[in-house]
Amino acid sequence: MNLSFFDQFSSPSMLGIPLILISMAFPALLLPSPDNRWITNRLSTIQLWFVNFITKQLLTPLNKEGHKWALILTSLMVFLLLINLLGLLPYTFTPTTQLSMSLALAFPLWLATLLTGLRNQPSASLGHLLPEGTPTLLIPALVMIETTSLLIRPFALGVRLTANLTAGHLLIQLISTATMALFPTMPAVSLLTLLILLLLTILEVAVAMIQAYVFVLLLSLYLQENI
Amino acid sequence: MQAGALGGMFHSGAASAAESSSSEAAGAAVSGGAGGGAAWGSGSGGGSGSSMAAAAGPAAPPTCLPPPPPLARAPAPRPPSPRSRESRAAISAPGGGGHRTGRGLPPPLLTAFPRPALLSCPAMLSRLVLRAAPAALRALPPPVAVGVMHTTRPLHTTQQSLAPLPPLPEKGGEVRHGLIPEEFFQFLYPKTGVTGPYMLGTGLLLYFLSKEIYVVNHETAAAACILTVIIYGIKKFGGNVAAFADRLNEEKLAAVSALKNESIQALQTAIEEEKKEQWRVEGRTYLFDAKRNNIAMLLETNYRERLLMVYNEVKKRLDYQVAMQTLKRQKEQEHMIQWVEKNVVQSITPQQQKESIAKCILDLKALSKSVHAAV
Repeated sequence: MNLSFFDQFSSPSMLGIPLILISMAFPALLLPSPDNRWITNRLSTIQLWFVNFITKQLLTPLNKEGHKWALILTSLMVFLLLINLLGLLPYTFTPTTQLSMSLALAFPLWLATLLTGLRNQPSASLGHLLPEGTPTLLIPALVMIETTSLLIRPFALGVRLTANLTAGHLLIQLISTATMALFPTMPAVSLLTLLILLLLTILEVAVAMIQAYVFVLLLSLYLQENI
Repeated sequence: MQAGALGGMFHSGAASAAESSSSEAAGAAVSGGAGGGAAWGSGSGGGSGSSMAAAAGPAAPPTCLPPPPPLARAPAPRPPSPRSRESRAAISAPGGGGHRTGRGLPPPLLTAFPRPALLSCPAMLSRLVLRAAPAALRALPPPVAVGVMHTTRPLHTTQQSLAPLPPLPEKGGEVRHGLIPEEFFQFLYPKTGVTGPYMLGTGLLLYFLSKEIYVVNHETAAAACILTVIIYGIKKFGGNVAAFADRLNEEKLAAVSALKNESIQALQTAIEEEKKEQWRVEGRTYLFDAKRNNIAMLLETNYRERLLMVYNEVKKRLDYQVAMQTLKRQKEQEHMIQWVEKNVVQSITPQQQKESIAKCILDLKALSKSVHAAV
């Protein structure tokens, strides 16, 4: 079937049934479920090692209160990683290209960190709005700027994720369209474009992983400030 | 009814527990029933059992199997004597509930067979359900059986054991080209030989392409690229990742094995130490003998020294006495001599002195004369 450039970004539905839920739940099926065994197969071992690695990385800077966030941060990381990487396969739909999903993940989590901070240590959390050592004249302006930057965080988180992935997917589509279009007439240029596409694919794999990591890392940073 | 039911419980429970592989639950039920049955059965007699059976016969639901006569508790392989047959007929006829003939044939089978009671007297429902669960489940259609399994899970008679788990296979399933299981090739081999699956694959692919079931569009180029990246990644890093996973597992095992080996080593060292100590203990008798000898010698020496000391002391005292006496005698002698001399000297009167001197002069003259004469 002929695809337009934006078909890959439309929420999938079949006979009117929205499939986005399946596409979001599917990555979980790829992970082996925990077993009773002590020595597991290679996939389970690697998964366990990976999850331990992520958890250690994310939670080392946090204090004991922040360790309560271990489950959500780690599972968010694995979720985003898998979704992003699976989206690179052909004919797949990437839920994170939908702004709705990214904002739905970013907003509540950011708000949770903010409210935790305001509740437990209100003066310290408000104190973050003014960096230390600012000249007195600049204080009002700086407070406004910092407040803006604080309030824009969830949008930044969500849009960063969506924009990166959408842009990457769009680029892949465009360049592959160019490759196919050039192939009949100028195969050599087409091969060059294919080479660019290959490099772009490698970049997209990296971006997929990095974006997931950055999302979760920033959340943990916001948490660190506030908890 | 209670006695009869308990009696039946006791007997059939004992028989079935012997042959089935039920766990403590059934065993507890049986032993509880056995205790109750024994108490009741020994308390009541045949008559009371029959009367109770008669009373409860019409009241029991039609699916209830009649309780066995109390004589069923007697040892099973007993040839039916005429007297016992009569008594059994007398008991079983009113309690049969229409189940047996009026002649009252002895039911020898009831004594030895396990009772496949699907539903019994409501008083003992749980225990009978426990025992009869497998047979009952087999009788139900599969979907209902599954539901029943889930709802009656706490009533399972077999022990659900989680250990030891069956070991994982050493290698994963054989796969060709990383995707297609080897079994597929084996499946097609008898009919199409070695190239069969490949022909199938190629044919399918060409079919899809030519019929435009799969349309070649830009996604194909993207698919080619991502597949290249994936396959390259797997080929290059697959072995390393597998080795890493194996190393993680081995480290886990090694840590625990090291613990085990260390404790084994520690215990073996302890055993050797103990053996050494035992060897040392053997030598201790000689040590103690030598020490004992030493001490004996010391004691002897000490004793002798003290004896010597005593002797010396005594001798000193006696010597002192002897010396005292000697001294005393000597002093007395000297004193006596002096006294005698003094007295003698004193007793020499001047008269005597003159006489002695004159005598001496005469003597001297005489002597000198003799000497003159001699010369």
